[in-house]
Amino acid sequence: MNAPAEQSLSCQPVGVDQPAMAVIEGLSNLIRARLPQARNIRLANLVRSAGGLSRENWRLDASWTDAQGEHSLEIILMRDASGTLLDTARDREFTVLAALAGSDVPAPRVHWVDANGCYLGAPSIVMDRMPGACDYLAPNSAAPLDSRIALARQFLWVLTRIHAFNWRGAQLGMHLGEPQGKPSSAELEHWDATYRRVQLEPHPELDYIHDWLSERAPESEAIVLVHGDFKPGNALVEAGRITAKLDWETAHLGDPLKDLGWITNPVRRREHQIADHWEREQIVNAYRLITGHAVDEHHLTWWNVFSNWKLAVIQLTAIAEFVQGRYHHVFQTPSWLYRPMFQLMDRLP
Amino acid sequence: MKPDVGEQLQGTCRILEQVVAPCVTDPFARTILDNLVANLRMLTGALPAVAPFLRADNQVTVRLLATLQPVLPAELSNRIGETLMRPEPDVADSAALDARNTAVRVILAESICSPGLAPAHHEAIRRHLSNRAAQAPMRYVSTLVTKPVDNLSNGTP
Repeated sequence: MNAPAEQSLSCQPVGVDQPAMAVIEGLSNLIRARLPQARNIRLANLVRSAGGLSRENWRLDASWTDAQGEHSLEIILMRDASGTLLDTARDREFTVLAALAGSDVPAPRVHWVDANGCYLGAPSIVMDRMPGACDYLAPNSAAPLDSRIALARQFLWVLTRIHAFNWRGAQLGMHLGEPQGKPSSAELEHWDATYRRVQLEPHPELDYIHDWLSERAPESEAIVLVHGDFKPGNALVEAGRITAKLDWETAHLGDPLKDLGWITNPVRRREHQIADHWEREQIVNAYRLITGHAVDEHHLTWWNVFSNWKLAVIQLTAIAEFVQGRYHHVFQTPSWLYRPMFQLMDRLP
Repeated sequence: MKPDVGEQLQGTCRILEQVVAPCVTDPFARTILDNLVANLRMLTGALPAVAPFLRADNQVTVRLLATLQPVLPAELSNRIGETLMRPEPDVADSAALDARNTAVRVILAESICSPGLAPAHHEAIRRHLSNRAAQAPMRYVSTLVTKPVDNLSNGTP
């Protein structure tokens, strides 16, 4: 097999720039390692796409032959960028997506993982390219109100399917780790460690809010599979149907209110809510009805505050990476998140 | 000095948008470029406000620290006292204003997380921090990728 010649021909659409060639060569080697019987591996139509702050996204077509015949896939390769906002592990994401295969959670089928980047130079994951388009403001798009409400309900339905996923049956506990003690405290501790690592200057606001969160960390009603970044911006929709929930890099076992706190967060209202029709009260009531969870209002507000605090830490990570010359988007101190957090804190005793 | 800083920043944005951007066909690079231009435009407006903001924030932060000082542990109270005695830098010295702001905010962070503060103190602390957040001159400018396809999220944190 003269793979290099085939590869150089098939990557012509993106030219011969080095990153593209590295992807072609690395992915070929990864496929060869995972499918030793594969012959005539062809990778074509490689395009690096915009979108994604933590990873490079390359879409391409792959084909090969083996004893069963010819195979072809429309795939996407997600490779960790040199500067990243989230310290996540590709093998964990691969494990979650593999476990979800065949469940009622719409998610891409995964094929291969390069967990430590030995083939692609950075940790990478390869999965099916799914149909549909992504609109991060889908509930407030130009579509008719009825269809927007239906879509918003569908998003909540998908969230409840994730939370109902039988993670014990799929043995995800051994891969993701079961929370010891309160998930709220563990989350706060985890993100506080990140905050201390990336902090470049004093942020009294975040220190003050951290202490407030620490004193009020709630107990969890249940331990579920948490998506960790649930939003329309991480989903594909086609003809009013959610075809895939994406970006499972932050999935873990934890408190379901973490996801619910993310989508009822007032700061991200435009992404998840529809004024007068699908607001916090309707979302929480629907969630209670579907899942049977009680959803304590005070606990949910704690998770709302935490969502913003975590978001602020992610932005500080972006600033630190930018200053180090590893990240190419410019962020500012997340002062726009401070006032909403104080307003939410005022709701609790 | 012509072109002044604002004119240079605006001119750079114009050239990037009119000359460079049309030649950038790679979607990832174009997203990065759009973000950079948007940030440069934000800086054009924000830059003149930074020094006055720091000076005003130093003054109100010092006033808040003076309010908290009596109920704080002695060692911290002493450090606040030393900070209060230092003169405020000249308004034209941006670097000194920034260094002073960092210094007072380090002490503020420690002070507002101390035990023993009364509800009135917490009220004053939240008011101070909220006001500062509202007045911060430099803001993140979102340049969202609104319609990506093929398993690609929108690129917002």
